[in-house]
Amino acid sequence: MTTLPRVLSIVSLLLVWLVLSAMFAPNIVPGPVVVFKAMGENIASGKVFYHLYKTLLRVGLGLVLTMVLGVATGTIMGLSRRGEVFLDSWVLVGLTVPAIVNSIICLLWFGLNDRAAVVAIGTAAFPAVSISIWQGIKGIDTQLVSMGQAFHLNKSAIVRKIVFPQLLPHILASMRYALGICWKICTTVELIGMSSGVGYQLNYWFGLFSMAQVFAWTLLFLLVMFAIEYLLFKPLEKRLTRWRTGVPALQWAQ
Amino acid sequence: MAHGGSGTAVGAIRLTNVAKEHVLASGERLRVLEDISFELADRSFTSILGPSGCGKSTILNLIAGLDSRSSGQISIDGARIGFVFQQPRLLNWRTVVDNVILPLEQQNFGREAMRALAAKYLRLVGLAGYETYYPLQLSGGMQQRVAIARALAIDPDILLMDEPFSGLDEITSRKLRQELLRIWQETRKTILFVTHSISESVFLSQQILIVSAKPARIFKRITIDLPYPREYGDLRLFEIETQLTKDFLEMGNSASDV
Repeated sequence: MTTLPRVLSIVSLLLVWLVLSAMFAPNIVPGPVVVFKAMGENIASGKVFYHLYKTLLRVGLGLVLTMVLGVATGTIMGLSRRGEVFLDSWVLVGLTVPAIVNSIICLLWFGLNDRAAVVAIGTAAFPAVSISIWQGIKGIDTQLVSMGQAFHLNKSAIVRKIVFPQLLPHILASMRYALGICWKICTTVELIGMSSGVGYQLNYWFGLFSMAQVFAWTLLFLLVMFAIEYLLFKPLEKRLTRWRTGVPALQWAQ
Repeated sequence: MAHGGSGTAVGAIRLTNVAKEHVLASGERLRVLEDISFELADRSFTSILGPSGCGKSTILNLIAGLDSRSSGQISIDGARIGFVFQQPRLLNWRTVVDNVILPLEQQNFGREAMRALAAKYLRLVGLAGYETYYPLQLSGGMQQRVAIARALAIDPDILLMDEPFSGLDEITSRKLRQELLRIWQETRKTILFVTHSISESVFLSQQILIVSAKPARIFKRITIDLPYPREYGDLRLFEIETQLTKDFLEMGNSASDV
């Protein structure tokens, strides 16, 4: 059902790229052939894996930090009015300060290492998660909670069996969104202060004015992100939201 | 299943001079319940009948311990309480059988024993074969049946029901009322049923407590001596209903006099 539009969307994207590359010189918009060739060479040389590993490590750990900070602050804000007032301005500051400022500060504080990258990513990306979780907690069905109390479920069971499952879609959605943000911040940190990773490679080839390589590295990372989306997030989401797929035919089968 | 009660029957319940006040933000006190006293015999079927928003549900919440009373005594003698709400209040991400199991997970049943119990009560409410369905795949009436099975699965001594059929269409709720009576006869639970429908309370109950509004106070107690199973359209039920409607109107008039 959805395969056709998806294929069409990717094909049209490639077509636009092809047309643009025909209109401009290769050093401005390199075509798919040149770019895939460059990417193939990078992969063949084996250099790709180290840089990809470094970037994925930073993004992965950064995402963990993002989710821990975001879920913690979002939960506090959702549960307590005082917490909401207290953390409100923190989240606003976090949302407003450009990620590059976090990157610069962390590189100056921690030095040019992975820790700086992870902290920069976590502190820059978490406010978006906070807000999503905060809204999620506000939307929790308290009638279900009182149902749990009426059946003498203890506090821990109410949190695990009634509250958490209602938050799960919000956690999942914000995690997907945060992954994109984390990757963008990671490239920035790598570009200004690292000697490894996809961002570093982009900076390196930028220095050599190699548009084909800039495209090749971007494309490589895009492919990795697509793989994560379709092999991890989509199946996970499908599994966790199975219960939403209603069978309307049963509605009248009293 | 054996319960630990000694002298008195476990399914009995007694409220003595129970009152409930809400303190408003302005500091003003709002009386919701006043001087509520009644007793439910073991295995009896009693309805609390009153206008919408009069505080009927508060009585159930107090008995279930979901809310705290301002004064008076509630004696439930350690009875186990099952609750059926106006909305089914099912966990939509759990299958039908896992919804019924939810309150059992608290006690130390084995997985298999819980499933067997759930299957038994799902059969009782006419939902055998729907174990692996999700609530959103079921109609409102079927969802409410699941909620009834969930309340029965803990083998309660008392079943509290808060307008459980008011969200359903008339045909469905008629059917469910008849089935509720059948289930009540089979399981012999004590049932306290809150409703704003005169005909519903007459059809179901042995005893009706008519409750006035703001604050809720017991206006009248009525005993219905007709045997079960009862039929819709029974003239004796109709007579009682007519009389009750008069009482109800009278109560409305006396309330507006105040």
